[in-house]
Amino acid sequence: MMNDTRNITNEIVFEQVSKAFGHNTPLRDVSFTVPRGEALCILGRSGTGKSVTLKLMIGLLKADRGKVLIDGQDIGTLDEDGLSRVRRKMGFLFQSAALFDSFSLGDNLALPLHRLDKTKSKDEIKTIVDQALDEVGLKKDKDKLPVELSGGMRKRAGLARALVLKPEILLADEPSSGLDRITSSEIDELLMKVKTERHTTVVVVTHDIRGARRIGDHFAILDQGDLVGYGTASELEKSENKLVREFISEA
Amino acid sequence: MTRIWQLFESIGKVTLFGLKAVRDAFRPPFEFEYFLKQVREIGWNSLSLIFASGFALGIVMTLHTRSTLVQFGAEAEIPNLQSMSFFNEIGPLVAALLVAGRVGAGIGAEFANMRATEQIDAIETLSINSFKFLVVTRIAACVLILPMLTLFMDFAGIAGGFASEHVLSNLSWRLYLDRAFANVALANFVPPTLKTAVFGFIIGTVSCYFGYTTNEGSDGVRRASTNSVVLSSMLIIVSDVVLVKCIFFFFPDQAI
Repeated sequence: MMNDTRNITNEIVFEQVSKAFGHNTPLRDVSFTVPRGEALCILGRSGTGKSVTLKLMIGLLKADRGKVLIDGQDIGTLDEDGLSRVRRKMGFLFQSAALFDSFSLGDNLALPLHRLDKTKSKDEIKTIVDQALDEVGLKKDKDKLPVELSGGMRKRAGLARALVLKPEILLADEPSSGLDRITSSEIDELLMKVKTERHTTVVVVTHDIRGARRIGDHFAILDQGDLVGYGTASELEKSENKLVREFISEA
Repeated sequence: MTRIWQLFESIGKVTLFGLKAVRDAFRPPFEFEYFLKQVREIGWNSLSLIFASGFALGIVMTLHTRSTLVQFGAEAEIPNLQSMSFFNEIGPLVAALLVAGRVGAGIGAEFANMRATEQIDAIETLSINSFKFLVVTRIAACVLILPMLTLFMDFAGIAGGFASEHVLSNLSWRLYLDRAFANVALANFVPPTLKTAVFGFIIGTVSCYFGYTTNEGSDGVRRASTNSVVLSSMLIIVSDVVLVKCIFFFFPDQAI
């Protein structure tokens, strides 16, 4: 019998999650939830475990302790096939965009479609790729290699690839890092569009407070492995923790 | 002592990595399209290197053997010596070492760079098994393509030998070929060519291992490409000793 996971209110749940790399512990007993269709922005200083949190969500890293639940499934207990099924619901925008160097932009987007959606013909895939690139304003650059693109174009292409399979959850690692204010604002607009038009659950790791406040419904603030603040912007502005107040009101 | 221990540790890890690749090669889904792309990349792009090296080596071999054989009035044996040397040892070994240098270093550096720039993680997030997609396809391509490149090397060497002989003694192509293949039996030709599939497996496995498992940024890229070439070249030469003994065991006529 199919398990209808759409009934689960919280799409992502962290339960007392800890992760260490040798003596370095980027996450210590961290718990939070991300409701379906909402956007969570994870903020904090560099090296406080923000990217580790995203990688735990998609199973690129395994928690040492605690549980990471995606649609009610503990991804730490899944085998390769189970993890693959969960990942099909998710899209991931890497900090560096991580486009495949040897593939053209079009092929970067077509790869997951060819591999994961066997029902689509080559023409249908071509149409989907064209539409996805058009949405991020890169249709005319379809045949270019990633090395021929600017940083902002690569980010937009990475976003298009993350969204090409229409994921229920989008994870974005520093989507605006290294970009000028106009380009990062364009990326923020795209993320907001994804959230509002497709009702996609969005989790963004960022240093850009201005962008975070535009996108986020909830905010998680990490400091030295601990979750020191979680809530809406107005809740966090009233926090007793000075660091939390500083982070959320930086704009 | 530590370095020797590290070497054996690396060989052990590479062996497990290779066995995983063999297991995964027979499990669906099969990455046939990407495998063909690798065959083209590894095979087609190595052809000019193999041909130029084989042809030059053929000329040099003939020049060396001629000066000795002429003293015994045995220059008619030059084509035969040339073909036997190339089919038995020079073709397989030199082709494998050249591919280890060109392809092995390339795979090691490419994977290490993909790891450093999170491209391998990106493949995983797209629900694609990166090991099957990247590693298995390249190892399989190396296994398939190396015997073919070896054949190409063999014939390029014979062609180089002919060119040298033709210039020095005006020997005809027809006579050269007759003499070159007069004593060549299938046992001289097939087992040494097929043994290069093992060399291909070594090159693919070692270079994929060092590239795929590193995570050290640009230093990792340098280390992966160097280690790929060094270890695969060493293992090719060591395994050649074992394979030649095996060939002699199964085809005793060759040992005489």
